Amino acid sequence: MSTVTPSTQQPRNPQQHGGPRVRFSGVVRSEWIKTRSLRSTAWTFLLVLLLSVGIGVLLASLANPDGVSITGDAARNALVQMATSGTMVSALIVAVLGALVVTGEYGTGMIRSTFTAVPRRWEALAAKGFVLAVTVFVVTAVSTWATAFAVLPIADGRGVEASLDAGVAFPLLGTSVYLTLIALLAFGVGILLRSTAGAIATVLGVMLVAPVVVQLVQGFTDAAWLGTLNNLLPQNAGAPLMQFGTEDTSGWHDGVLALGGWSGFAVLTAWVVVTMAAALVTVEKRDA
Amino acid sequence: MIEIQNLTKRYGEKTAVEDVSFTVRPGVVTGFLGPNGAGKSTTMRAVVGLDTPTSGRALVDGRPYRELRDPLRRVGALLEAKAVHRSRSAYDHLHALAATHRIPKRRVDEVIGMTGLERVARKRVGGFSLGMGQRLGIAAALLGDPETLILDEPVNGLDPEGVLWVRQLARSLAAEGRAVFISSHLMSEMALTADRVVVMGRGRVLADTALQDLVASGTERSVSVRTPDPEGLRTAIAGPDVSIGYEQDGSLLVRGIGAEQIGEAAAASGVVLHQLASTEASLEQAYLALTHDEVEYRSEVAR
Repeated sequence: MSTVTPSTQQPRNPQQHGGPRVRFSGVVRSEWIKTRSLRSTAWTFLLVLLLSVGIGVLLASLANPDGVSITGDAARNALVQMATSGTMVSALIVAVLGALVVTGEYGTGMIRSTFTAVPRRWEALAAKGFVLAVTVFVVTAVSTWATAFAVLPIADGRGVEASLDAGVAFPLLGTSVYLTLIALLAFGVGILLRSTAGAIATVLGVMLVAPVVVQLVQGFTDAAWLGTLNNLLPQNAGAPLMQFGTEDTSGWHDGVLALGGWSGFAVLTAWVVVTMAAALVTVEKRDA
Repeated sequence: MIEIQNLTKRYGEKTAVEDVSFTVRPGVVTGFLGPNGAGKSTTMRAVVGLDTPTSGRALVDGRPYRELRDPLRRVGALLEAKAVHRSRSAYDHLHALAATHRIPKRRVDEVIGMTGLERVARKRVGGFSLGMGQRLGIAAALLGDPETLILDEPVNGLDPEGVLWVRQLARSLAAEGRAVFISSHLMSEMALTADRVVVMGRGRVLADTALQDLVASGTERSVSVRTPDPEGLRTAIAGPDVSIGYEQDGSLLVRGIGAEQIGEAAAASGVVLHQLASTEASLEQAYLALTHDEVEYRSEVAR
């Protein structure tokens, strides 16, 4: 390492502060550089792609063992199920990623560099959330559609006669929306809790444990409102986004509210908005 | 330029900084001294908006840091080594910071060159030594070519060459008219680097003065004398304020009278002197005298 005397600097005019100011586009660019310069992000996305296609193909090659030809809505529903069968696993992965993009900065001290460069913290975090949302959406769209195209000929060979029409495309698009919202929810929790372990435990608790607990209690008490509560949990609220033909079944059934694609989207979005609002208010007040 | 006005910061019950006011001026290296836990880092964190003051203000160019629209172009701060994601390369770290302010890539290369990081710029920061981490922190601070620099313990972990480099860097940045605010525990280094010093203890400012004045004020001057005739000398310089101590190496340590008077008195009485030397007042002595009662965590064997 050589020692360099810094007197080689160009002469400056001390009065001049001619440089451009911090703009949101610049902060987004900064967050994009951060995202692509971590190898773990690329590996995570590759994992999402491989698992999605792998699970879909596996399921498709086991589908319809009788070989009796399936047509119409039943076939389209089957195709959607195959193409989105890896979503549960993908959701866990993007949730961990969403938490990590911010808790990783808290853990390493990077957050102090971030907030020193962009002292309006909401701006730094909004840019980070934006880049997270776009990358997760694009990657999961690629993985979902790749799965659909991989599954299509296999399903066709096993007698499931469906094509990628609008009715099928909608839940496939919904899958990417769902995964993007889950990543943002985890991101908000990550901002609130700051620790990687705490954030991941909380998010996985909400996604995996909470529905089981609510269902168990409902099983004992038989209270209908618990069924509604269960359907409003993020994981379950988002589920109709990636199911075929949910609008027909949504509404109240025996005192339990079932969500459709749009209402599920609204509820999951509300979870994200409330969590992010709490996170942004907290982060502005808190010492970094 | 940094102005700190009646800054108080409490963390729950604990008061880290209490009613602190001072100014870091352009064209000057301001040293920031104080024992561990004195509130130096808290003060610096308040300046760059990471900690919100309980009361009072910390202003940069007249405004609170969090209101600055282009903070990296006004203040460069090295607050702690490795405020960096460990899995990212030094270049990508600097590039990401630069992007927020549209600082061009060539400036990233420039600060990498200035801090001597060329060979490791593409390596993951997680593998960096403490010294390389410090150089990266300094590179980040220089990125926006700012008018004010805040360096918290910049020589921590640097080799002697690096320590010299930081000293020259701080001096040249101040010579260019920038305000340089630098904390360190290395008194000898600070004595060579700083023009002014702010000394803190237990959250308060103990001194805010020119370096020379602090050094002069803090120490009782003494003169080391060697003579084959100690009794003769004692008689020659005797006086109400004069005290003479016998050191283990056989020399005398005289207080209360200057070297010139001792020499003249010895000559007048015909006492032979082998050595006559004023002991240099040091920043370290002045600092220790000033902070003696303010050290929060004193080791039993200290001093």
